[in-house]
Amino acid sequence: MDQSRSKLTFSLVIVVGFLTVCPVVMLALGSVSEGLTAFGDFTPDKYIKAYTDPALLDVMVNTVIFVLGSSVLATVLALFLAYLNTRTDIPFKFLFKVLSIIPMMIPHLLFSVSWALLLNPSNGMINTVLKGALSLESAPFNIYTLQGMILVEALLDLPIAYLIIAPAMASFDVALEESSRVFGAGTWRTLLRVTLPILRPAILAAFVLGVVRSLASFAVPSVLGMPGRVNVLATHLYEMISLGFATDYGKAAAVGMSVLATSVTLIYVYRALTAESDKYVTISSRGYRPAVIELGRARIPLFTIVAVLSLFMIVLPVAVLLYTSFVPYTMVPSARAFSLMSLKHWSDVLQDPLSLLALKNSLFLALAGATLGVVLSVFVGYAIVKVKTRASGLLESLSFLSFSFPGIVIGVGFMWFFVQTPLYATIWALLIGYIATYLPYGVRPMASAFVQVHAHLEESSLVCGASYLTTMRRIIVPLLIPGIVSAWILMATMFVRELTLSVVLSRPGTEVLAVQILRFADDGLWGKLSALGIIMILISTSLVVLATLVGARFRTVEGGG
Amino acid sequence: MEIRIQGVSKYYFSEGKTIKALDGVDLTIPANQIFTLLGPSGCGKTTLLRCIVGLEAPDTGEISIGDEIVWSKDRNISIPPEKRGLGMVFQTYAIWPHMNVFDNVAYPLQVRNVSRDAIRERVEKTLRFVQLEGFENRPATKLSGGQQQRVALARALVAEPKVILFDEPLSNLDAKLREETRKELKAFLGKLKITAVYVTHDRIEALALSDTIAIMRAGRIIELGSPQKIYFDADHEFVADFIGRANLVKATVRAQDAEYTVVDCGMGTITCQRRDFAVGSEVTLCLRPEFIRLVRGEGGGGKNVVDGRIDSLIFVGEAYEAEIRVGNELLLAKFDSDVNLKAGDAVSFTLDPAHCLLVSI
Repeated sequence: MDQSRSKLTFSLVIVVGFLTVCPVVMLALGSVSEGLTAFGDFTPDKYIKAYTDPALLDVMVNTVIFVLGSSVLATVLALFLAYLNTRTDIPFKFLFKVLSIIPMMIPHLLFSVSWALLLNPSNGMINTVLKGALSLESAPFNIYTLQGMILVEALLDLPIAYLIIAPAMASFDVALEESSRVFGAGTWRTLLRVTLPILRPAILAAFVLGVVRSLASFAVPSVLGMPGRVNVLATHLYEMISLGFATDYGKAAAVGMSVLATSVTLIYVYRALTAESDKYVTISSRGYRPAVIELGRARIPLFTIVAVLSLFMIVLPVAVLLYTSFVPYTMVPSARAFSLMSLKHWSDVLQDPLSLLALKNSLFLALAGATLGVVLSVFVGYAIVKVKTRASGLLESLSFLSFSFPGIVIGVGFMWFFVQTPLYATIWALLIGYIATYLPYGVRPMASAFVQVHAHLEESSLVCGASYLTTMRRIIVPLLIPGIVSAWILMATMFVRELTLSVVLSRPGTEVLAVQILRFADDGLWGKLSALGIIMILISTSLVVLATLVGARFRTVEGGG
Repeated sequence: MEIRIQGVSKYYFSEGKTIKALDGVDLTIPANQIFTLLGPSGCGKTTLLRCIVGLEAPDTGEISIGDEIVWSKDRNISIPPEKRGLGMVFQTYAIWPHMNVFDNVAYPLQVRNVSRDAIRERVEKTLRFVQLEGFENRPATKLSGGQQQRVALARALVAEPKVILFDEPLSNLDAKLREETRKELKAFLGKLKITAVYVTHDRIEALALSDTIAIMRAGRIIELGSPQKIYFDADHEFVADFIGRANLVKATVRAQDAEYTVVDCGMGTITCQRRDFAVGSEVTLCLRPEFIRLVRGEGGGGKNVVDGRIDSLIFVGEAYEAEIRVGNELLLAKFDSDVNLKAGDAVSFTLDPAHCLLVSI
């Protein structure tokens, strides 16, 4: 049995290693090659060309401001919300849960588009309304700026930061704070000297993850940055490989190498931080509730802030898209606008062969990709949790690696690989790329599912007289099903909306939903875009709802101890 | 059924070192008794249990249950756990969280292809036996710790095995519940004709439950006997120390007679129950705190009267725990809580020779 286990781990290391290391190696090789077609001859030219590009300095400055700005804002907002939810008597606490799962339902691309529709300087709805109401010369807001990008990216990264900080705060032992109070420190001093330092690993982890995500972010910079010619690294790379006369994959690879190196470093910092943050979990028993701080007069104003934030993050984007999909052109809601409403954009989209093809491709990728990805994740999760060898440790690190992959950079690496194979420009290229990039989203739920299956559960079945096969069928598989379901749904929702990898790998015939939406955005076809976007949201939402229902069904028999 | 273990060893390899989890264990577990393997953690007791049940394969030796050899290195026999027909209660209970109480208990019968009606009847009977009637449709994980423990017991008993094994089944319960469950378990097992092998590191649990106790250390069985034998008449210092609180005093054998062995030690000359030690050999005198009896007033003058001074005195409710300084020795003693003493008082006490136990070092 031990031998077959190590064989399994070994072959998984090869498969996962291929998926994650291959694009990195190809990217590295590509960065020192002449081009996609002249692969193999060493040349340092691309690095020289890429790093002496006068535009790069601007791009770097923008990137740093964008990345740090959005990560700081997201972390501060998350800290604020987490504190309100776990430690105060703020009303309507369910809102916080809603706020933390919304990004699953609204793809980043559509969220960015909805903000462009609201706040673009020429005909953004809020701008138009304010211009009329205050009789202004020009639009008061311009979302096509660095500030606009930072705001939108921060709102997108907020839920993830919240999901890291809130549990740390909820498991915080209030006695630590109370003792500080007893020794004479006031509320603020306690917050600064005790609470925040103890939460530091969690806060830093949220911040670092924010940096990795905004560095990889393509939706916000492409929708909000490119119209105002505010380029960051992601859009800089995109321009090199898809715009202009001479696409230069080598130069993109050369720049991509440093983006990738930064991301990989940061993600290992993040991992170390979360490990440390787990050490700080001071309370683990059940039924424990930290003392609740009464907000008093601040209760209503603080709640208003949360309510407005929820409005911005949930209601407004969907409402704007829905509204835009019905009106003939961009206009402020009015009696006239409502009288002009029609299903024209919807029927246009549903008759547009390209959109239908994209829909078909995305659905295929979601269903087939998630299924294959989960099968792989089951084996990887088993090897990581149940087979504790050096090889399984390596496997864990490998499967975690792609968590750091900026889609557009890794896409360039895959490009180099697929060009050498018959898979180039086929849907299979996207499928492999998706699974490689999103593998951690499948492995993590599976690994925690395997952790739950204690060896005794398996052994007691054997002692009861059940054969190994019966044990598999009646004990192990049923216990894993919740993990399998959530891994599948998570991967499927990711694949339905995938943008960053797809913009690199998608070719005529292999269009996917997000790429088609981006194309509508470039052409200013907001109505069609909104109709297609709503379809995309509907697909993701129904998958999430399905996940919640299935999860709830299994939760009734889970837990205990 | 009797369990015979002959020459069983089990080795683990870790960081280049070989660890002997079991080191040539020879043991016969008599039929229809509660037999306890007791020892500190890491002594190999759980490994031995897992070898009996078949979840671990020993590296040498032979194990037979009743007339059947279930493991033999030399004869190349290895019966898998599911074919050994035993019952087992795990430390974590191993209650399957996706099944209700009925399905958990019915499982051993279901995998034996027992008819549906017979299963229902036997599960009901077993649940009644462990006092869990009416819990059939509860999700098993929604039960309290003590109830889960009884589900695990019911599951182990339902197929009416001849042997049931317990791997520290009470260690996950809180102190009060542990005591209650211990009593219940003893009552349940007393009603059945079954061989029970029980693993624990809790000496009180072992004393209270067992017909026979085997003390293990470093992969070997050191001593075997009834709870009284182990507590009062242990042969080894390790056993005497492990099974209860004891004062261990270095002593030298001075004389032997028909009834007593007399030793010299830091407290003077003490007459002890007879043990076969050569005159002049080094031994350990083991004194249980509860057998250090105060001499009231000036009386005494009999055997083993010792004078000392109270070093410290702690009130623990039902008794005083005193540390008495006698020469260089500091003895722990237990006095009735109504004595009128304080630290610094001079005291005399007697030691009944029957409770002065000599053990080999």
